[in-house]
Amino acid sequence: MRRKGLTGMSFSSAQYILRETLNSLKRNPWLSVASIVTVMVSLVILGFSAFFLANASNMANMFESQVEIAAFVQTNLSQSEVLALEDRIKSMPQVASVELVTKDQALLEFGQSLGGKKGDLLSDLGGTNPLPDKLTVKANDPQEVVGLAAELTKLPGLETVSYGQGVVDKLLPFTRWLRWLGAVVVGAFTVASLVLISINIKMNVFSRRREIQIMKLVGASNWFIRWPFLVEGLILGWVGGILAALIVGLGYRWLADYVQMTLAFLPMVQSSALFWQVLVGLILAGMAIGAVGSAFSLRKFLRV
Amino acid sequence: MIQLNNVTKIYPNGAKALVDINLRISKGEFVFLVGPSGAGKSTLVRLLFREEVPTRGQVTLNGRNLVRMREREVPLLRRTIGVIFQDFKLLPNKTVMENAGFALEVLGVPAKEVQARTRSALDMVGLSHKTRAFPGELSGGEQQRVCVARAIINNPALLVADEPTGNLDPETAWEIMDLLYNINKRGTTVVMATHAKDIVNQMKKRVIAIEKGRIARDEEKGAYGYEL
Ligand SMILES: Nc1ncnc2c1ncn2[C@@H]1O[C@H](COP(=O)(O)OP(=O)(O)OP(=O)(O)O)[C@@H](O)[C@H]1O
Ligand SMILES: [Mg+2]
Repeated sequence: MRRKGLTGMSFSSAQYILRETLNSLKRNPWLSVASIVTVMVSLVILGFSAFFLANASNMANMFESQVEIAAFVQTNLSQSEVLALEDRIKSMPQVASVELVTKDQALLEFGQSLGGKKGDLLSDLGGTNPLPDKLTVKANDPQEVVGLAAELTKLPGLETVSYGQGVVDKLLPFTRWLRWLGAVVVGAFTVASLVLISINIKMNVFSRRREIQIMKLVGASNWFIRWPFLVEGLILGWVGGILAALIVGLGYRWLADYVQMTLAFLPMVQSSALFWQVLVGLILAGMAIGAVGSAFSLRKFLRV
Repeated sequence: MIQLNNVTKIYPNGAKALVDINLRISKGEFVFLVGPSGAGKSTLVRLLFREEVPTRGQVTLNGRNLVRMREREVPLLRRTIGVIFQDFKLLPNKTVMENAGFALEVLGVPAKEVQARTRSALDMVGLSHKTRAFPGELSGGEQQRVCVARAIINNPALLVADEPTGNLDPETAWEIMDLLYNINKRGTTVVMATHAKDIVNQMKKRVIAIEKGRIARDEEKGAYGYEL
Protein backbone atom coordinates (compact mmCIF):
# COMPACT_ATOMS: atom_id res chain seq x y z
CA MET A 1 0.00 0.00 0.00
CA ARG A 2 1.43 3.35 -0.95
CA ARG A 3 1.92 6.00 1.70
CA LYS A 4 -0.07 9.14 1.41
CA GLY A 5 -0.23 12.44 3.21
CA LEU A 6 -2.82 13.70 5.60
CA THR A 7 -5.33 14.34 2.85
CA GLY A 8 -4.83 11.07 1.01
CA MET A 9 -3.94 12.81 -2.25
CA SER A 10 -1.98 11.30 -5.06
CA PHE A 11 -2.03 11.88 -8.79
CA SER A 12 -4.64 9.25 -9.56
CA SER A 13 -6.72 10.54 -6.66
CA ALA A 14 -6.58 14.02 -8.18
CA GLN A 15 -7.86 12.55 -11.43
CA TYR A 16 -10.56 10.75 -9.51
CA ILE A 17 -11.62 13.94 -7.73
CA LEU A 18 -11.95 15.87 -10.98
CA ARG A 19 -13.89 13.07 -12.65
CA GLU A 20 -16.17 12.71 -9.62
CA THR A 21 -16.79 16.45 -9.46
CA LEU A 22 -17.71 16.66 -13.13
CA ASN A 23 -19.94 13.61 -12.85
CA SER A 24 -21.75 15.06 -9.90
CA LEU A 25 -22.27 18.40 -11.66
CA LYS A 26 -23.57 16.62 -14.74
CA ARG A 27 -25.75 14.28 -12.74
CA ASN A 28 -27.59 16.98 -10.76
CA PRO A 29 -27.59 20.00 -13.06
CA TRP A 30 -30.63 21.50 -11.34
CA LEU A 31 -29.20 21.11 -7.89
CA SER A 32 -26.06 22.80 -9.21
CA VAL A 33 -28.10 25.66 -10.64
CA ALA A 34 -30.00 25.98 -7.37
CA SER A 35 -26.72 26.10 -5.43
CA ILE A 36 -25.28 28.74 -7.73
CA VAL A 37 -28.41 30.87 -7.47
CA THR A 38 -28.45 30.54 -3.69
CA VAL A 39 -24.83 31.60 -3.40
CA MET A 40 -25.43 34.41 -5.87
CA VAL A 41 -28.51 35.81 -4.12
CA SER A 42 -26.81 35.63 -0.74
CA LEU A 43 -23.70 37.36 -1.98
CA VAL A 44 -25.64 40.04 -3.86
CA ILE A 45 -27.39 40.92 -0.62
CA LEU A 46 -24.09 40.77 1.22
CA GLY A 47 -22.36 42.91 -1.40
CA PHE A 48 -24.99 45.61 -1.30
CA SER A 49 -24.97 45.66 2.48
CA ALA A 50 -21.18 46.00 2.39
CA PHE A 51 -21.55 49.06 0.18
CA PHE A 52 -24.29 50.33 2.46
CA LEU A 53 -21.91 50.00 5.42
CA ALA A 54 -19.16 51.77 3.50
CA ASN A 55 -21.48 54.64 2.63
CA ALA A 56 -22.96 54.88 6.09
CA SER A 57 -19.57 55.09 7.69
CA ASN A 58 -18.31 57.45 4.98
CA MET A 59 -21.25 59.74 5.63
CA ALA A 60 -20.65 59.57 9.36
CA ASN A 61 -16.98 60.42 8.82
CA MET A 62 -17.86 63.35 6.65
CA PHE A 63 -20.27 64.82 9.15
CA GLU A 64 -17.80 64.28 11.92
CA SER A 65 -14.87 65.78 10.08
CA GLN A 66 -16.75 69.04 10.05
CA VAL A 67 -16.92 69.07 13.82
CA GLU A 68 -14.26 71.39 15.23
CA ILE A 69 -13.63 73.29 18.40
CA ALA A 70 -13.14 77.04 18.35
CA ALA A 71 -11.02 78.16 21.30
CA PHE A 72 -10.70 81.95 21.68
CA VAL A 73 -7.53 83.27 23.26
CA GLN A 74 -7.60 85.94 25.95
CA THR A 75 -6.69 89.26 24.32
CA ASN A 76 -4.04 90.16 26.93
CA LEU A 77 -1.73 87.32 25.84
CA SER A 78 1.43 88.17 23.91
CA GLN A 79 2.15 86.60 20.54
CA SER A 80 4.75 84.21 21.98
CA GLU A 81 2.33 83.16 24.70
CA VAL A 82 -0.28 82.40 22.06
CA LEU A 83 2.21 80.25 20.14
CA ALA A 84 3.16 78.40 23.33
CA LEU A 85 -0.51 77.74 23.99
CA GLU A 86 -0.91 76.38 20.47
CA ASP A 87 2.03 73.99 21.02
CA ARG A 88 0.61 72.89 24.32
CA ILE A 89 -2.73 71.99 22.74
CA LYS A 90 -1.00 70.26 19.86
CA SER A 91 0.81 68.00 22.30
CA MET A 92 -2.45 66.75 23.85
CA PRO A 93 -3.02 63.10 22.86
CA GLN A 94 -6.65 63.50 21.73
CA VAL A 95 -5.82 66.36 19.38
CA ALA A 96 -5.48 65.77 15.65
CA SER A 97 -4.70 69.30 14.49
CA VAL A 98 -4.59 72.88 15.69
CA GLU A 99 -4.86 75.86 13.44
CA LEU A 100 -4.19 79.39 14.58
CA VAL A 101 -6.34 82.15 13.15
CA THR A 102 -4.79 85.43 14.33
CA LYS A 103 -6.94 88.40 15.13
CA ASP A 104 -5.54 90.19 12.06
CA GLN A 105 -6.64 87.38 9.78
CA ALA A 106 -9.98 87.29 11.55
CA LEU A 107 -10.49 90.98 11.07
CA LEU A 108 -9.50 90.74 7.42
CA GLU A 109 -12.02 88.00 6.82
CA PHE A 110 -14.66 89.86 8.79
CA GLY A 111 -14.02 93.03 6.82
CA GLN A 112 -14.19 91.15 3.53
CA SER A 113 -17.48 89.66 4.56
CA LEU A 114 -18.78 93.19 5.11
CA GLY A 115 -17.43 94.18 1.72
CA GLY A 116 -15.05 96.89 2.94
CA LYS A 117 -11.26 97.29 3.13
CA LYS A 118 -9.16 96.35 6.13
CA GLY A 119 -7.85 99.78 6.82
CA ASP A 120 -11.32 101.30 6.85
CA LEU A 121 -12.69 98.82 9.31
CA LEU A 122 -9.70 99.16 11.64
CA SER A 123 -9.93 102.92 11.67
CA ASP A 124 -13.69 102.76 12.11
CA LEU A 125 -13.04 100.68 15.21
CA GLY A 126 -10.77 103.38 16.60
CA GLY A 127 -7.46 101.77 15.67
CA THR A 128 -7.72 98.70 17.95
CA ASN A 129 -8.71 95.22 16.84
CA PRO A 130 -11.34 93.90 19.28
CA LEU A 131 -11.27 90.36 17.89
CA PRO A 132 -9.42 87.63 19.80
CA ASP A 133 -6.96 85.14 18.33
CA LYS A 134 -8.70 81.87 17.59
CA LEU A 135 -7.38 78.29 17.75
CA THR A 136 -9.32 75.81 15.62
CA VAL A 137 -8.89 72.35 17.17
CA LYS A 138 -9.85 69.02 15.63
CA ALA A 139 -10.06 65.86 17.73
CA ASN A 140 -8.61 62.50 16.71
CA ASP A 141 -11.93 60.89 17.43
CA PRO A 142 -14.81 63.29 16.85
CA GLN A 143 -16.83 61.30 19.38
CA GLU A 144 -14.45 62.75 22.03
CA VAL A 145 -15.08 66.37 21.11
CA VAL A 146 -17.17 67.12 24.18
CA GLY A 147 -14.53 65.81 26.58
CA LEU A 148 -11.75 67.61 24.75
CA ALA A 149 -13.63 70.89 24.83
CA ALA A 150 -14.08 70.53 28.58
CA GLU A 151 -10.34 70.04 29.02
CA LEU A 152 -9.52 73.02 26.86
CA THR A 153 -11.76 75.19 29.00
CA LYS A 154 -9.48 74.44 31.95
CA LEU A 155 -6.38 75.73 30.16
CA PRO A 156 -5.21 79.16 31.34
CA GLY A 157 -5.22 81.74 28.60
CA LEU A 158 -8.33 80.59 26.81
CA GLU A 159 -11.39 82.76 26.97
CA THR A 160 -14.24 80.75 25.52
CA VAL A 161 -14.37 77.32 23.99
CA SER A 162 -17.19 76.41 21.66
CA TYR A 163 -17.91 73.49 19.36
CA GLY A 164 -21.43 74.19 18.17
CA GLN A 165 -22.85 72.39 21.19
CA GLY A 166 -26.42 72.07 19.99
CA VAL A 167 -25.60 70.49 16.62
CA VAL A 168 -22.77 68.24 17.78
CA ASP A 169 -24.73 66.81 20.68
CA LYS A 170 -27.31 65.59 18.17
CA LEU A 171 -24.91 64.68 15.38
CA LEU A 172 -22.61 62.39 17.32
CA PRO A 173 -25.28 59.93 18.47
CA PHE A 174 -26.64 59.95 14.93
CA THR A 175 -23.32 59.04 13.29
CA ARG A 176 -22.70 56.37 15.91
CA TRP A 177 -26.12 54.94 15.14
CA LEU A 178 -25.46 55.09 11.39
CA ARG A 179 -22.32 52.97 11.77
CA TRP A 180 -24.13 50.51 13.99
CA LEU A 181 -26.93 50.14 11.51
CA GLY A 182 -24.43 49.41 8.73
CA ALA A 183 -22.68 46.75 10.82
CA VAL A 184 -25.96 45.15 11.88
CA VAL A 185 -27.20 44.99 8.29
CA VAL A 186 -23.99 43.29 7.15
CA GLY A 187 -24.05 40.92 10.14
CA ALA A 188 -27.69 39.93 9.67
CA PHE A 189 -27.31 39.26 5.98
CA THR A 190 -24.11 37.29 6.51
CA VAL A 191 -25.97 34.96 8.86
CA ALA A 192 -28.94 34.74 6.51
CA SER A 193 -26.68 33.87 3.55
CA LEU A 194 -24.86 31.19 5.51
CA VAL A 195 -28.13 29.57 6.57
CA LEU A 196 -29.48 29.67 3.03
CA ILE A 197 -26.34 28.18 1.54
CA SER A 198 -25.91 25.51 4.18
CA ILE A 199 -29.49 24.28 3.67
CA ASN A 200 -28.72 23.93 0.00
CA ILE A 201 -25.47 22.04 0.55
CA LYS A 202 -27.09 19.79 3.14
CA MET A 203 -29.71 18.81 0.56
CA ASN A 204 -26.97 17.87 -1.86
CA VAL A 205 -25.08 15.83 0.71
CA PHE A 206 -28.26 14.23 2.04
CA SER A 207 -29.28 13.08 -1.43
CA ARG A 208 -25.98 11.23 -1.62
CA ARG A 209 -25.78 9.85 1.91
CA ARG A 210 -26.13 6.23 0.81
CA GLU A 211 -23.30 6.69 -1.63
CA ILE A 212 -21.15 8.16 1.13
CA GLN A 213 -22.00 5.26 3.42
CA ILE A 214 -21.00 2.69 0.81
CA MET A 215 -17.75 4.49 0.09
CA LYS A 216 -16.87 4.40 3.75
CA LEU A 217 -17.70 0.70 4.06
CA VAL A 218 -15.40 -0.11 1.18
CA GLY A 219 -12.55 1.68 2.94
CA ALA A 220 -12.58 5.23 1.60
CA SER A 221 -10.98 7.74 3.92
CA ASN A 222 -12.93 10.81 4.95
CA TRP A 223 -10.75 13.01 2.77
CA PHE A 224 -11.26 10.79 -0.25
CA ILE A 225 -14.99 11.39 0.07
CA ARG A 226 -14.65 15.02 1.05
CA TRP A 227 -12.45 16.23 -1.81
CA PRO A 228 -14.99 15.94 -4.65
CA PHE A 229 -17.62 17.69 -2.52
CA LEU A 230 -15.10 20.36 -1.65
CA VAL A 231 -14.08 20.98 -5.25
CA GLU A 232 -17.72 20.96 -6.33
CA GLY A 233 -18.59 23.49 -3.64
CA LEU A 234 -15.61 25.58 -4.66
CA ILE A 235 -16.67 25.65 -8.30
CA LEU A 236 -20.34 26.37 -7.59
CA GLY A 237 -19.38 29.06 -5.07
CA TRP A 238 -16.98 30.58 -7.57
CA VAL A 239 -19.61 30.80 -10.31
CA GLY A 240 -22.16 32.19 -7.84
CA GLY A 241 -19.57 34.68 -6.58
CA ILE A 242 -18.74 35.92 -10.07
CA LEU A 243 -22.41 36.41 -10.94
CA ALA A 244 -22.96 38.23 -7.65
CA ALA A 245 -19.93 40.44 -8.26
CA LEU A 246 -21.28 41.36 -11.69
CA ILE A 247 -24.71 42.22 -10.35
CA VAL A 248 -23.41 44.15 -7.37
CA GLY A 249 -20.75 45.94 -9.42
CA LEU A 250 -23.08 47.10 -12.17
CA GLY A 251 -25.88 47.76 -9.70
CA TYR A 252 -23.76 49.94 -7.46
CA ARG A 253 -22.35 51.94 -10.37
CA TRP A 254 -25.87 52.61 -11.59
CA LEU A 255 -27.14 53.46 -8.12
CA ALA A 256 -24.23 55.80 -7.44
CA ASP A 257 -24.85 57.67 -10.70
CA TYR A 258 -28.54 57.88 -9.98
CA VAL A 259 -28.05 59.22 -6.46
CA GLN A 260 -25.49 61.71 -7.70
CA MET A 261 -27.96 63.07 -10.21
CA THR A 262 -31.04 63.22 -8.03
CA LEU A 263 -29.70 63.71 -4.51
CA ALA A 264 -26.45 65.53 -5.15
CA PHE A 265 -26.01 66.43 -1.47
CA LEU A 266 -25.75 62.72 -0.53
CA PRO A 267 -22.13 61.74 -0.90
CA MET A 268 -21.64 58.24 -2.38
CA VAL A 269 -18.39 56.37 -1.94
CA GLN A 270 -16.75 56.25 -5.36
CA SER A 271 -13.39 54.80 -4.34
CA SER A 272 -12.46 52.28 -7.00
CA ALA A 273 -10.13 50.45 -4.58
CA LEU A 274 -13.07 49.74 -2.29
CA PHE A 275 -15.20 48.83 -5.29
CA TRP A 276 -12.80 46.11 -6.45
CA GLN A 277 -12.10 44.95 -2.93
CA VAL A 278 -15.79 44.25 -2.39
CA LEU A 279 -16.17 42.46 -5.72
CA VAL A 280 -13.09 40.26 -5.28
CA GLY A 281 -14.21 39.69 -1.70
CA LEU A 282 -17.56 38.41 -2.95
CA ILE A 283 -15.94 35.88 -5.28
CA LEU A 284 -13.57 34.64 -2.59
CA ALA A 285 -16.44 34.47 -0.10
CA GLY A 286 -18.44 32.41 -2.58
CA MET A 287 -15.62 29.91 -3.00
CA ALA A 288 -14.93 29.71 0.72
CA ILE A 289 -18.61 29.28 1.58
CA GLY A 290 -19.02 26.58 -1.06
CA ALA A 291 -15.99 24.58 0.00
CA VAL A 292 -16.24 24.96 3.75
CA GLY A 293 -20.00 24.54 3.70
CA SER A 294 -19.70 21.24 1.83
CA ALA A 295 -17.02 19.87 4.11
CA PHE A 296 -19.01 20.95 7.13
CA SER A 297 -22.28 19.39 5.99
CA LEU A 298 -20.52 16.11 5.31
CA ARG A 299 -19.37 15.58 8.88
CA LYS A 300 -22.50 13.83 10.10
CA PHE A 301 -22.56 11.40 7.18
CA LEU A 302 -18.92 10.41 7.43
CA ARG A 303 -19.47 8.62 10.74
CA VAL A 304 -20.07 5.18 9.28
CA MET B 1 -6.89 -13.87 13.55
CA ILE B 2 -10.42 -13.03 14.72
CA GLN B 3 -11.37 -13.07 18.35
CA LEU B 4 -14.66 -12.12 20.00
CA ASN B 5 -14.77 -11.92 23.79
CA ASN B 6 -18.13 -11.77 25.59
CA VAL B 7 -19.63 -9.80 22.73
CA THR B 8 -23.16 -8.53 23.18
CA LYS B 9 -24.87 -6.35 20.61
CA ILE B 10 -28.09 -4.54 21.39
CA TYR B 11 -29.36 -2.18 18.66
CA PRO B 12 -30.57 1.27 19.65
CA ASN B 13 -34.17 0.08 19.20
CA GLY B 14 -33.58 -2.55 21.89
CA ALA B 15 -33.22 -5.58 19.60
CA LYS B 16 -30.81 -8.05 21.22
CA ALA B 17 -28.95 -9.33 18.16
CA LEU B 18 -25.99 -11.05 19.86
CA VAL B 19 -25.63 -12.26 23.45
CA ASP B 20 -22.30 -13.02 25.10
CA ILE B 21 -20.52 -14.47 22.07
CA ASN B 22 -17.04 -15.97 22.48
CA LEU B 23 -15.39 -16.99 19.25
CA ARG B 24 -11.97 -17.57 17.74
CA ILE B 25 -11.20 -17.92 14.05
CA SER B 26 -7.65 -18.64 12.91
CA LYS B 27 -5.87 -17.32 9.87
CA GLY B 28 -6.70 -19.26 6.72
CA GLU B 29 -9.90 -20.82 8.07
CA PHE B 30 -13.13 -21.16 6.10
CA VAL B 31 -16.11 -20.68 8.39
CA PHE B 32 -19.84 -20.94 7.69
CA LEU B 33 -22.26 -19.02 9.90
CA VAL B 34 -25.69 -20.65 9.80
CA GLY B 35 -28.91 -20.18 11.69
CA PRO B 36 -32.49 -19.10 11.25
CA SER B 37 -33.39 -15.71 9.90
CA GLY B 38 -32.93 -13.00 12.50
CA ALA B 39 -30.48 -15.10 14.52
CA GLY B 40 -27.75 -12.47 14.35
CA LYS B 41 -25.49 -13.69 11.53
CA SER B 42 -25.35 -10.39 9.69
CA THR B 43 -24.81 -8.54 12.94
CA LEU B 44 -21.81 -10.72 13.77
CA VAL B 45 -20.41 -10.20 10.29
CA ARG B 46 -20.82 -6.41 10.61
CA LEU B 47 -18.74 -6.38 13.76
CA LEU B 48 -15.78 -7.76 11.79
CA PHE B 49 -15.33 -4.72 9.55
CA ARG B 50 -16.62 -2.34 12.18
CA GLU B 51 -19.85 -1.35 10.51
CA GLU B 52 -21.16 -1.94 14.02
CA VAL B 53 -19.42 -1.81 17.38
CA PRO B 54 -20.51 -4.22 20.13
CA THR B 55 -22.52 -2.89 23.05
CA ARG B 56 -20.33 -4.94 25.39
CA GLY B 57 -17.24 -7.08 24.89
CA GLN B 58 -14.22 -6.88 22.60
CA VAL B 59 -13.57 -7.71 18.96
CA THR B 60 -9.96 -8.26 17.95
CA LEU B 61 -8.70 -8.65 14.41
CA ASN B 62 -5.03 -9.40 13.80
CA GLY B 63 -4.29 -8.14 17.29
CA ARG B 64 -6.09 -4.85 16.70
CA ASN B 65 -8.95 -3.99 19.00
CA LEU B 66 -11.82 -2.84 16.80
CA VAL B 67 -13.79 -1.39 19.68
CA ARG B 68 -11.10 0.99 20.83
CA MET B 69 -9.89 1.70 17.31
CA ARG B 70 -9.73 5.38 16.38
CA GLU B 71 -12.04 6.73 13.69
CA ARG B 72 -9.08 7.53 11.45
CA GLU B 73 -7.83 3.94 11.40
CA VAL B 74 -11.15 2.44 10.29
CA PRO B 75 -10.60 3.02 6.54
CA LEU B 76 -7.21 1.30 6.77
CA LEU B 77 -8.83 -1.68 8.51
CA ARG B 78 -11.55 -1.94 5.88
CA ARG B 79 -9.03 -1.93 3.06
CA THR B 80 -7.66 -5.24 4.32
CA ILE B 81 -11.12 -6.81 4.36
CA GLY B 82 -13.25 -7.76 1.39
CA VAL B 83 -16.97 -7.64 2.09
CA ILE B 84 -19.79 -9.23 0.12
CA PHE B 85 -22.87 -7.46 1.44
CA GLN B 86 -26.25 -9.11 1.79
CA ASP B 87 -27.77 -6.08 0.04
CA PHE B 88 -24.78 -5.61 -2.36
CA LYS B 89 -24.23 -1.93 -1.58
CA LEU B 90 -23.37 -0.91 -5.13
CA LEU B 91 -23.09 2.74 -6.11
CA PRO B 92 -26.11 3.33 -8.38
CA ASN B 93 -24.43 6.06 -10.44
CA LYS B 94 -21.34 4.07 -11.25
CA THR B 95 -20.93 1.39 -13.87
CA VAL B 96 -20.15 -2.24 -13.10
CA MET B 97 -16.52 -1.49 -13.92
CA GLU B 98 -16.36 1.53 -11.60
CA ASN B 99 -18.15 -0.27 -8.80
CA ALA B 100 -15.89 -3.29 -8.89
CA GLY B 101 -12.79 -1.13 -9.15
CA PHE B 102 -13.82 1.16 -6.35
CA ALA B 103 -11.96 -0.77 -3.66
CA LEU B 104 -8.75 -0.09 -5.61
CA GLU B 105 -9.66 3.49 -6.42
CA VAL B 106 -9.87 4.42 -2.73
CA LEU B 107 -6.28 3.23 -2.39
CA GLY B 108 -5.11 5.67 -5.04
CA VAL B 109 -4.06 2.91 -7.44
CA PRO B 110 -3.29 4.34 -10.91
CA ALA B 111 -6.23 4.25 -13.33
CA LYS B 112 -4.55 1.82 -15.76
CA GLU B 113 -3.86 -0.70 -13.05
CA VAL B 114 -7.40 -0.34 -11.69
CA GLN B 115 -8.75 -1.09 -15.17
CA ALA B 116 -6.63 -4.18 -15.68
CA ARG B 117 -7.29 -5.67 -12.27
CA THR B 118 -11.00 -4.89 -12.42
CA ARG B 119 -11.27 -6.58 -15.79
CA SER B 120 -9.73 -9.76 -14.48
CA ALA B 121 -11.90 -9.71 -11.36
CA LEU B 122 -15.06 -9.26 -13.46
CA ASP B 123 -13.82 -12.08 -15.66
CA MET B 124 -13.60 -14.33 -12.63
CA VAL B 125 -17.23 -13.67 -11.64
CA GLY B 126 -18.37 -14.02 -15.26
CA LEU B 127 -19.42 -10.42 -15.85
CA SER B 128 -16.84 -9.25 -18.36
CA HIS B 129 -19.60 -8.60 -20.92
CA LYS B 130 -21.44 -6.07 -18.72
CA THR B 131 -18.68 -3.70 -17.66
CA ARG B 132 -20.55 -0.60 -18.84
CA ALA B 133 -23.93 -1.41 -17.32
CA PHE B 134 -25.26 0.35 -14.25
CA PRO B 135 -26.44 -1.66 -11.21
CA GLY B 136 -30.05 -0.77 -11.95
CA GLU B 137 -29.74 -2.55 -15.29
CA LEU B 138 -28.58 -5.84 -13.73
CA SER B 139 -30.40 -8.82 -12.27
CA GLY B 140 -30.03 -9.54 -8.56
CA GLY B 141 -27.51 -12.28 -9.24
CA GLU B 142 -25.45 -10.05 -11.50
CA GLN B 143 -25.37 -7.30 -8.89
CA GLN B 144 -24.25 -9.84 -6.35
CA ARG B 145 -21.39 -10.88 -8.60
CA VAL B 146 -20.26 -7.26 -8.98
CA CYS B 147 -20.19 -7.12 -5.21
CA VAL B 148 -18.10 -10.30 -5.13
CA ALA B 149 -15.66 -8.85 -7.66
CA ARG B 150 -15.25 -5.71 -5.56
CA ALA B 151 -14.64 -7.78 -2.45
CA ILE B 152 -11.90 -9.97 -3.91
CA ILE B 153 -10.16 -7.42 -6.10
CA ASN B 154 -7.86 -6.29 -3.33
CA ASN B 155 -6.59 -9.73 -2.29
CA PRO B 156 -7.90 -9.12 1.21
CA ALA B 157 -6.57 -10.92 4.26
CA LEU B 158 -10.14 -11.53 5.37
CA LEU B 159 -13.16 -12.07 3.16
CA VAL B 160 -16.50 -11.56 4.84
CA ALA B 161 -19.52 -12.78 2.90
CA ASP B 162 -23.13 -12.29 3.93
CA GLU B 163 -25.20 -14.72 1.84
CA PRO B 164 -23.06 -14.35 -1.28
CA THR B 165 -25.12 -16.95 -3.13
CA GLY B 166 -28.52 -15.82 -1.94
CA ASN B 167 -29.74 -14.64 -5.33
CA LEU B 168 -27.95 -17.08 -7.60
CA ASP B 169 -29.06 -20.19 -9.44
CA PRO B 170 -27.31 -23.33 -8.17
CA GLU B 171 -24.80 -23.38 -11.00
CA THR B 172 -23.68 -19.78 -10.58
CA ALA B 173 -23.74 -20.25 -6.83
CA TRP B 174 -21.22 -23.06 -7.17
CA GLU B 175 -19.04 -20.92 -9.43
CA ILE B 176 -18.93 -18.29 -6.69
CA MET B 177 -18.17 -20.96 -4.11
CA ASP B 178 -15.30 -22.22 -6.28
CA LEU B 179 -14.01 -18.69 -6.32
CA LEU B 180 -14.20 -18.35 -2.54
CA TYR B 181 -12.65 -21.79 -2.14
CA ASN B 182 -9.68 -20.80 -4.29
CA ILE B 183 -9.25 -17.48 -2.53
CA ASN B 184 -9.25 -19.35 0.76
CA LYS B 185 -6.66 -21.78 -0.62
CA ARG B 186 -4.37 -18.81 -1.27
CA GLY B 187 -4.49 -17.93 2.42
CA THR B 188 -7.45 -15.58 2.79
CA THR B 189 -9.63 -16.23 5.80
CA VAL B 190 -13.28 -16.57 4.75
CA VAL B 191 -16.29 -16.03 6.99
CA MET B 192 -19.58 -16.68 5.21
CA ALA B 193 -23.12 -16.35 6.54
CA THR B 194 -25.49 -18.51 4.55
CA HIS B 195 -28.74 -20.41 4.29
CA ALA B 196 -27.42 -22.63 1.45
CA LYS B 197 -27.75 -26.09 2.96
CA ASP B 198 -26.25 -28.02 0.04
CA ILE B 199 -23.19 -25.84 -0.14
CA VAL B 200 -22.50 -26.10 3.59
CA ASN B 201 -22.98 -29.85 3.59
CA GLN B 202 -20.74 -30.45 0.59
CA MET B 203 -17.88 -28.11 1.53
CA LYS B 204 -17.27 -29.81 4.89
CA LYS B 205 -15.85 -26.73 6.57
CA ARG B 206 -16.21 -25.36 10.07
CA VAL B 207 -19.85 -24.52 10.82
CA ILE B 208 -20.95 -22.15 13.55
CA ALA B 209 -24.70 -22.17 14.20
CA ILE B 210 -26.26 -19.10 15.80
CA GLU B 211 -29.70 -19.09 17.36
CA LYS B 212 -31.32 -16.12 19.04
CA GLY B 213 -27.99 -14.35 19.27
CA ARG B 214 -26.08 -17.20 20.90
CA ILE B 215 -23.70 -19.80 19.52
CA ALA B 216 -25.69 -23.05 19.46
CA ARG B 217 -23.11 -25.23 17.76
CA ASP B 218 -19.53 -24.99 16.53
CA GLU B 219 -18.18 -27.97 14.58
CA GLU B 220 -15.17 -28.67 12.40
CA LYS B 221 -16.25 -30.21 9.05
CA GLY B 222 -19.81 -29.60 10.11
CA ALA B 223 -23.14 -29.80 8.39
CA TYR B 224 -25.93 -27.27 7.90
CA GLY B 225 -28.12 -29.12 10.41
CA TYR B 226 -31.42 -27.34 9.81
CA GLU B 227 -34.32 -28.61 7.78
CA LEU B 228 -35.51 -26.01 5.36
N1 LIG C 1 -29.80 -1.95 12.03
C1 LIG C 1 -30.60 -2.62 12.88
N2 LIG C 1 -31.33 -1.92 13.79
C2 LIG C 1 -32.12 -2.58 14.66
N3 LIG C 1 -32.25 -3.90 14.73
C3 LIG C 1 -31.55 -4.64 13.85
C4 LIG C 1 -30.69 -4.03 12.89
N4 LIG C 1 -30.13 -5.01 12.16
C5 LIG C 1 -30.61 -6.16 12.65
N5 LIG C 1 -31.48 -5.96 13.66
C6 LIG C 1 -32.16 -6.98 14.46
O1 LIG C 1 -31.17 -7.84 15.01
C7 LIG C 1 -31.57 -9.19 14.92
C8 LIG C 1 -30.52 -9.97 14.13
O2 LIG C 1 -30.52 -9.52 12.79
P1 LIG C 1 -29.48 -10.03 11.71
O3 LIG C 1 -29.65 -9.18 10.51
O4 LIG C 1 -28.16 -10.09 12.33
O5 LIG C 1 -30.04 -11.49 11.44
P2 LIG C 1 -29.56 -12.55 10.36
O6 LIG C 1 -29.16 -13.77 11.13
O7 LIG C 1 -28.55 -11.97 9.45
O8 LIG C 1 -30.88 -12.83 9.54
P3 LIG C 1 -31.07 -13.22 7.99
O9 LIG C 1 -30.70 -14.64 7.87
O10 LIG C 1 -32.51 -12.98 7.72
O11 LIG C 1 -30.17 -12.31 7.22
C9 LIG C 1 -32.94 -9.20 14.28
O12 LIG C 1 -33.89 -9.33 15.30
C10 LIG C 1 -33.04 -7.84 13.59
O13 LIG C 1 -34.36 -7.40 13.63
MG1 LIG D 1 -28.46 -11.46 7.44
